[in-house]
Amino acid sequence: MGGLGSQLRGRVRAHALSGLLGCAGVLLAIGVWVLLSRLLAGGGGVINRLPGPLPVLQKLLEYASQDLLQDLRFSLRVFVVGWLLAVVCATGVGLLLGRVRVLGDVFLPMVEAIRPVSSIAWVPLSIVWFGFGFTSKAFLVGLGVFLVVIVYAVDGASRVPADLSRTAAMLGMNARQRFVNLILPSTLSEVLIGARVSLMAGWGTVIVAELVAADAGLGAHLISVQQSYNVPAVIATMICFGATGFIMNQLFSLIEARLLPWRAGILESRA
Amino acid sequence: MMAVRSQAGVADDGEGGELAFEHVSHHYVSGGRRTDVLADVSFAVGAGSVACVVGPSGCGKSTLLSLAAGLQRPASGSVRWQGEAVRLGPNHHLGMAFQQPGLFPWMTVRQNVAVGLRTRGQGKRDAHRIADEFLETVGLGDFADAYPAHLSGGMAQRVGIARALALRPKLLLLDEPFAAVDAFTRLKLQGELKTLLRLHRPTVVFVTHDVSEAIVVGDAIVVMSQRPASVQRIFEVQPEDRKRASPSYARKLAEVLDCLGVHSEGDAGG
Amino acid sequence: MIGAEEGRRRDVRKRLLLGLGGVLVIAALWQGTIFAYELPLVVLPSPWRVIEALLTLVRTSAFWKDVGVSLMEFAGGYLIGGVLGIAAGLLLAESRSARMTATPVVEALRFVVPFAWIPLTVLWFGTSYLGKLVLVAYAVFFVMLVSTARSIGQVEPTLSRVGTMLGMGRWQLAMRVHLRAAAPSIASAARAAAAIGWIAVVAAEYVGASAGLGLMITNAATSLATPVVIAGMIVIGGVGAAVSAVVRWLSRAWLDYR
Repeated sequence: MGGLGSQLRGRVRAHALSGLLGCAGVLLAIGVWVLLSRLLAGGGGVINRLPGPLPVLQKLLEYASQDLLQDLRFSLRVFVVGWLLAVVCATGVGLLLGRVRVLGDVFLPMVEAIRPVSSIAWVPLSIVWFGFGFTSKAFLVGLGVFLVVIVYAVDGASRVPADLSRTAAMLGMNARQRFVNLILPSTLSEVLIGARVSLMAGWGTVIVAELVAADAGLGAHLISVQQSYNVPAVIATMICFGATGFIMNQLFSLIEARLLPWRAGILESRA
Repeated sequence: MMAVRSQAGVADDGEGGELAFEHVSHHYVSGGRRTDVLADVSFAVGAGSVACVVGPSGCGKSTLLSLAAGLQRPASGSVRWQGEAVRLGPNHHLGMAFQQPGLFPWMTVRQNVAVGLRTRGQGKRDAHRIADEFLETVGLGDFADAYPAHLSGGMAQRVGIARALALRPKLLLLDEPFAAVDAFTRLKLQGELKTLLRLHRPTVVFVTHDVSEAIVVGDAIVVMSQRPASVQRIFEVQPEDRKRASPSYARKLAEVLDCLGVHSEGDAGG
Repeated sequence: MIGAEEGRRRDVRKRLLLGLGGVLVIAALWQGTIFAYELPLVVLPSPWRVIEALLTLVRTSAFWKDVGVSLMEFAGGYLIGGVLGIAAGLLLAESRSARMTATPVVEALRFVVPFAWIPLTVLWFGTSYLGKLVLVAYAVFFVMLVSTARSIGQVEPTLSRVGTMLGMGRWQLAMRVHLRAAAPSIASAARAAAAIGWIAVVAAEYVGASAGLGLMITNAATSLATPVVIAGMIVIGGVGAAVSAVVRWLSRAWLDYR
């Protein structure tokens, strides 16, 4: 009947097909890119310059050998500081608002009202308050991440599954034990989900903040090459930005899998 | 090949044709694992006959229907309708009621029953009129304007049946249609179904886990084995078997249950 | 015994009161912080100043012109990106080979956030309307593409079988069953896309614009007209909420079977 052999063959075939088509897709996209760059090379008009993949690659390598690491360090520092602080604060505030009913009832509506207003709207105010420096950008990132994670934190803190609650009561846990064994883990696992969701939002905020402030970092570099009409370098920088986001995402997944192995699958599908 | 023939005794003037499974085998592949569902199933259902398929849970009875409906192609073997292999995709000779009612939530009950007719070219007013008729038949005439979200599981299932019947199919495939309905309604619906079938005489394949239902409704009972399923035995049902009070009913019931490996207490030793 | 209707009214009242209470608390904290730290107008203007600035803005025609420009940029991009995104998402959901081909490219582009495209659009389109439109369309396209494909993938399989059984061909099935069944989640994705698109417009106007809300606020920030800045933020939030409400209202008409 084939059994194991045919099973393996089936699986390999399925993977091979999706891999093949995927590569075809990438090649197709690059092909379109090359085609467009050729077509638009001569003409003027609105899109006056679309460099092909090769010039972009060239600029990318150039950048990599020069300022990339430095800029990356600036941007990442802004991001990590803002993100970490926000996650910690959101956890604390979330616990408070989630467990103390009165505080929650008063302050949660406010949070709900402010949340939809993206942190991007706060950029000008941040400029007024903090100017163009590190604090300003970190504040923006932190604000954005905080507003996202707080909801998850409150959720986790206020909602402990009923059957776990009953088990705790049955085992005779006191308040402190309940906190440590039930409430805290529930909050933290929700916070983790929120933290992952806010990763990309936070990283995007970094770039906007740097575009406006234009003092240091990837965003600043992006502005500077834009102002010198260096289109290949602009695209190269965009790629760097995307690649960093991708790497951060993967790293986060790995850490997640380590910390909460039993929930890894669920977290992935919820985020 | 084992065949199911109509007990009507009259010439086959019903609307149906013959449905034949010829050495049908089928399997599913999921996550790299292969599950054999059907193994060399062969039997035929004569025109206008009602074949009730019974068997252990998960033995592939639903798959049989799916293959007969052209929703899947058998891994090997062929399913033939009136001599020709069943085509994949929409087939206009058949109507099917699934295990889940599968009503379109954005349409009213009436619209749900009518949609098949409209897809096949009927005008809106006619389709709605016919829909109302069939809803009356399954006792849901008052709910024609309701939305599926407001129906109970059993009611939704009846709408599904009305929808299949309204197509006046030559081949009717029913997948445990009364499983979610309470016992009293089930008995009533069995009677109504038989009446409807007598009017149009389609070829019917009726999957059920309820053996007594199979005896009452079917012309023959096809007993399937465990997965990977094949046909164990086909029991013919005589008219006197259908009367629940008769001893021949009890005998037939015991026979079929025995074939399924279910032995009731007090059997051994009389 | 509290009836259901009465209970609901009490619930709404309670929430309104608490919301109002929250606003008052914020206003009080706000005013208190100013007094306590003796903050100058530039840093934190009092709520009254902000309201004043808001009222002044509303009376200026330039303000309405800016709002109009931003809204137009948003609306055009949203419609184009939305329609294309849903269509493309439907295509990916229906065709497995299309999906496998497109996935790596889509996943890669996902990480280049719309904001990262702003300088490029400025280079290509200058500060014109077209540039912002393209940006918004891109952002919205992406969101709708991914969520439409996912929503359709989650449609109950029985419905597809029913459709085929009833005689629907492949594309009839896609349009009449899959799209309709996925409509509720596509609609909520449309709301999320509206928020993203709107904020993309504002961000784009920070960087390179000749008119629009984002430009107006940035100018106010550079001239340290803080009350105007805060008023502008409130306007951004307000318009964002209004847009979201409009999208929800429009989709409700389509989803009234719920």
